Amino acid sequence: MTTRATGGAMTARRALGSGLHLVAVLAILFFVLFPIAWLAITAFRPAAEAFSTSPVFAPTLENFRAIIGGQNDLTAAAVNSVVVGTATTLISLPMALLAAYAFSRHRFPGHKSMLLAMVATQFIPGVAIALPFLTLFHDLGLLDTRASLVIVNLSLVVPYITWLLKGFVDGLPIEIEEAARLDGCGQITLLWRVVTPLAAPGLFVCAVFSFLLSWNEFLFPTFLAKEEATTLPVGLMTLVRPEGVAWGQMAAAGLLVMVPMLVMSMFVRKHFAQGMTMGAIK
Amino acid sequence: MERAVVTATAERSAASGAAPAGRPSGPGAGRGRRMRRAAQPYLHLAPALAAVLLTTVYPLVSALVTSFRHWRLNESTAPGGFVGFEQYQRAFQDDTFFNSVMVTLWFTFVSVVLSVGIGLAIALILNRRGPLNGLTKALLILPFAVAPALKGFSWRFMMNPDHGVYDKMIDSVLPFAADVNWLGEPFWAQMVLVLTEVWGWAPLIALMLLGGLASVPPEVNEAARVDGATAWQRFRHVTFPLLRPLLLIVIFLKAVFSLKLFDQVVTITGGGPGRATETLNFYAYTQGFTFLDIGYASAVSWILVVVLGVIAAGYLVAMNRQEAK
Repeated sequence: MTTRATGGAMTARRALGSGLHLVAVLAILFFVLFPIAWLAITAFRPAAEAFSTSPVFAPTLENFRAIIGGQNDLTAAAVNSVVVGTATTLISLPMALLAAYAFSRHRFPGHKSMLLAMVATQFIPGVAIALPFLTLFHDLGLLDTRASLVIVNLSLVVPYITWLLKGFVDGLPIEIEEAARLDGCGQITLLWRVVTPLAAPGLFVCAVFSFLLSWNEFLFPTFLAKEEATTLPVGLMTLVRPEGVAWGQMAAAGLLVMVPMLVMSMFVRKHFAQGMTMGAIK
Repeated sequence: MERAVVTATAERSAASGAAPAGRPSGPGAGRGRRMRRAAQPYLHLAPALAAVLLTTVYPLVSALVTSFRHWRLNESTAPGGFVGFEQYQRAFQDDTFFNSVMVTLWFTFVSVVLSVGIGLAIALILNRRGPLNGLTKALLILPFAVAPALKGFSWRFMMNPDHGVYDKMIDSVLPFAADVNWLGEPFWAQMVLVLTEVWGWAPLIALMLLGGLASVPPEVNEAARVDGATAWQRFRHVTFPLLRPLLLIVIFLKAVFSLKLFDQVVTITGGGPGRATETLNFYAYTQGFTFLDIGYASAVSWILVVVLGVIAAGYLVAMNRQEAK
């Protein structure tokens, strides 16, 4: 297209273009944010007006009171979520760091196939994992305990953060490790004193992910921990009752589930997109 | 949340990965030391491998064995005798199983097309310079961070045919849709599920594609522009070919997660109306958890494992071939 528009027509077209562009961006913002914003609004709306679409209402904390110590207490579920998420993270991080270090710094027989196998585990449907554990945990008396959830969550977390951490370790300068080794640094000291501090930002990202994965997990606790050890996402189900869904409380609980994850994910946003597509572009 | 996200390109990074460690092989590095060094990576891997063996390989093998046994929890807590392929045959003769296969494939197809299409559109829009772009890019991760179960509840709430805020908006724009009961009609219930998936995934896909677009050298586009290429021609012949490998990964990722759909089915539709939204994962769940038929549920979940395995393998082959080109 080599037509040369006159100056005036050009600016008009450009203005129209950027106007349209702005409209499109606003539409995207609306699409992304509206459901989150609506949930937040509903959480503070009086329960009787849950379905009101009026922007004017008297904000109330009644929904939060109902789920924190009130008639639909979800604090036990919240505690379970925090404990399971924290334990899963603390257990999987050292495992993943060791494995990622081995994958990154060593060539050994089975290197490639083991790494592939780690990736492949992510394609396995949760039901195939949860079913055998249902009977195993039943036999071990572990059904409906936090420990059972931590164990099963490792299946999601360990392969994923191992793989993510490998990317981080690949990027660390190897010269520092070589220097430390020449100074007589043993393997354990090297890992603890040299690699861990260098990989700290990566470890932080992985900690966020492993917590996020456990925190949002729904299938495993549905299968394995419906009562005592239930977590927040499954706790939401208790607000669905035959007489109807307690939408206001649902929204309040939803906000409690969502906010920590939204804040954390903002911190690791960049790594997330990179982590998922790493290697796609050379 | 959905199973962790991992791209199948790890294989590539393995192939082109970091150089092996510098190994100071001082004089006197005896046989013992060499052996210890050879064993070292395995020692490092041991905890993680043990975790994967326990939490993934064990249940998979166990489910495989169970899939050949008769085992109903309401009859006995111990597994019964071996029945060969009986339960697999039963699945393939079962209309409700077949229905869940079709529902899963249809759902996967529609949500992949829409998520990737809309994600690409968002990425192309945000790749231009303009006000609010930075902010919008920063917020793209948010829907994905919302727990799928919660995603389901919030969309069910907003699509409520009597009072849901989205229902009201749709009614005011499209008056003829006023009577549609979004979750009461099979087709629309499926579409609500698709919509929640698109909401969660399209922004994330856009974020990934923006990473790819950033690596398209602006000079190439500029040169094409100077040569008089239209915006569409530039997209068709410059941007798109460069994005293609990334798009393949994104399509594959989305497909795998759509095939495993579970959380939103439970929280939005419960499989209904009728069986219109019964996905394979949900079908296996109800067989095992509601009907307590562990043997049959294991067979069904293994069929899902095989399906996902075939898709993953096909994808890897395709990627390798493309790399070879």
